[in-house]
Amino acid sequence: MAVKRLQNYINGEWVDSTTQEFVEIKNPARGEVLSECPMSTKAELDSAIQAAQDAYPDWRNTPAVARARYLHRLIEVMEENFNELSIVQTREHGKTIDESRGETRRGIEMVEVASGIPTTMQGFNLEDIAHGIDEYAIYQPLGVFSCIAPFNFPFMVPLWFLPFAIACGDTFVVKPSPRTPMSQTKLFEMLDDTGLPPGVVNMVHGGAEIANGFMEHPDMKGVTFVGSTPVARHIYQKCGETGKRVIAQAGAKNFIVIMPDAEIDKAMVSLVSSFFGNAGQRCLAGANLLVVGDDKTYRNVVDKFRNAAAAITVGDGLDESVQMGPVQNAESKQRILKMMEKGIAEGAKLTLDGRNLKLVGDLPGDCFLNPSVFENVTPEMSLAQDEIFGPVASVLRAGDLDEAIDIVHSVPFGNSAAIFTNNGKWARQFQHDVIAGNVGINVGIVAPMAFFPFGGMKDSFFGILHGQGQDVVRFFTECKVVITRWF
Amino acid sequence: MKLNTMAAVMSFVSRIEDASATFYEKCAVQYPDMKDTFLSWSKENRKFEKNVKRTYFGVITDTLESNYAFEGLDTDDYAFETDVPEDAPKTGKRAHEIEEKIKAFYLKAAELSEGLMADIPRLFKKIAKKREERRLPA
Repeated sequence: MAVKRLQNYINGEWVDSTTQEFVEIKNPARGEVLSECPMSTKAELDSAIQAAQDAYPDWRNTPAVARARYLHRLIEVMEENFNELSIVQTREHGKTIDESRGETRRGIEMVEVASGIPTTMQGFNLEDIAHGIDEYAIYQPLGVFSCIAPFNFPFMVPLWFLPFAIACGDTFVVKPSPRTPMSQTKLFEMLDDTGLPPGVVNMVHGGAEIANGFMEHPDMKGVTFVGSTPVARHIYQKCGETGKRVIAQAGAKNFIVIMPDAEIDKAMVSLVSSFFGNAGQRCLAGANLLVVGDDKTYRNVVDKFRNAAAAITVGDGLDESVQMGPVQNAESKQRILKMMEKGIAEGAKLTLDGRNLKLVGDLPGDCFLNPSVFENVTPEMSLAQDEIFGPVASVLRAGDLDEAIDIVHSVPFGNSAAIFTNNGKWARQFQHDVIAGNVGINVGIVAPMAFFPFGGMKDSFFGILHGQGQDVVRFFTECKVVITRWF
Repeated sequence: MKLNTMAAVMSFVSRIEDASATFYEKCAVQYPDMKDTFLSWSKENRKFEKNVKRTYFGVITDTLESNYAFEGLDTDDYAFETDVPEDAPKTGKRAHEIEEKIKAFYLKAAELSEGLMADIPRLFKKIAKKREERRLPA
């Protein structure tokens, strides 16, 4: 049977790309080819942006409450297709079905929050700023925005932006990840079902050429991005040069600090989930486990953590007995293996070796790794500093909380940091002092809900306003101040 | 079979509620004088399944950590017969066994997932309690 070629969605129509270049989309668990993704042309991108630009004037003038109703319809369609959507994510990405269902739910929550736009887009006013003169601020849309999506949350991440943008009255173009474009294609089938006017939302598959096209096109008002730090930095610089707004959420190396009084047995599930959920391919994943305390505390924490990691079942995410799927492709696995070898060469001790595959079922091993735990990791080692984005935990030690916070600050990233403790003073000090955009207290995966901004500091974020919540509404709108006097 | 993920627990809930509902539907045919009771239980079991699924899909983002929580939950511990025996006392006994097994499953699953998410263990306990209240007519 011929493999399905994915189409672009431009101006309310599904269209074949004219490109000759296609990328095979494979199920990383089983190696089967699922579809072919076109590397679309610059002309196709231009036509998508033109469609969005043409749709903008009418869409902007559509009342906010009417715009929100399209989102209500989208929620209905997403709920009806909840399981199907989740299965697509597991097949193209590899994550477990529970993780995919969680991603689908998070995506729906974004649309739910965005549909509150008649409230969240409101301005403010003050009567009598001077005698008989009033002043008010109104928020207005700007035009065409875009999203360059990552492979790790292919369905959810564009929903951090798209529903908010169109709710605000902007129009939108998405470039899905060319590694995981199928769930976004499924989302656009649902957007099509809502009856949105042509051109309000558009999708163009492709790679760097399309992404650069967003940054260069004169009609593009802003770019949103989630991915690696080098690319985020490039986008930030490029958008600065071309005068575009930008939200660029980037890489991470997240610490989880375990204090001596932590409820370690209760915390273990949370820790294991943070480090090894989504096979470590979350920008909020725990990467460095930093244990504060004496040798006895250290041994107790690390032995329990390693045993829990060793017990994780690994295999095809559609198998309900599986707790961790593969990494997304074979290149990712090779990259992770190299980083592990570098860690060993630097002197870290690999006490749980996930290179020894133990899989549920007879599966090709190209993309699989079991959980790994490194001990004797010191702050200057690459294992502590560099983003691995795989199921590898680095364990470090600190004498007290001050030293722990210093170590957290030694990495260039500031996406998230968490502390496990029963001591309110320590928790407060950590929350106050740590330089990280998302802070957890006895929480392993510090994922902000749709109605809060998704934080990020240092090399984990480039921009001013963040995705989600009120921040992203401000990002997609411009404030206009009006002063009135009537004679 | 070990149930070590939330998805596996959900599938097992569907299986036991469907099997027990079907058992009561057969009982209703075999014992017409108790038809109303058996059919009401069957209907309630299917409602339990729907409620559990609705809750699961509603709070699935909270359940991610529970992917690693279900240590010690095994389907073998909660297996039950669904053939309808020939006589009423044996049927009553079987119904009692089914209810006890399902109740034990919900209570254990609630215990293992407690502290990770509020809604699902609360519903599991509620279903267990409702089963406790069931009494066959004399």
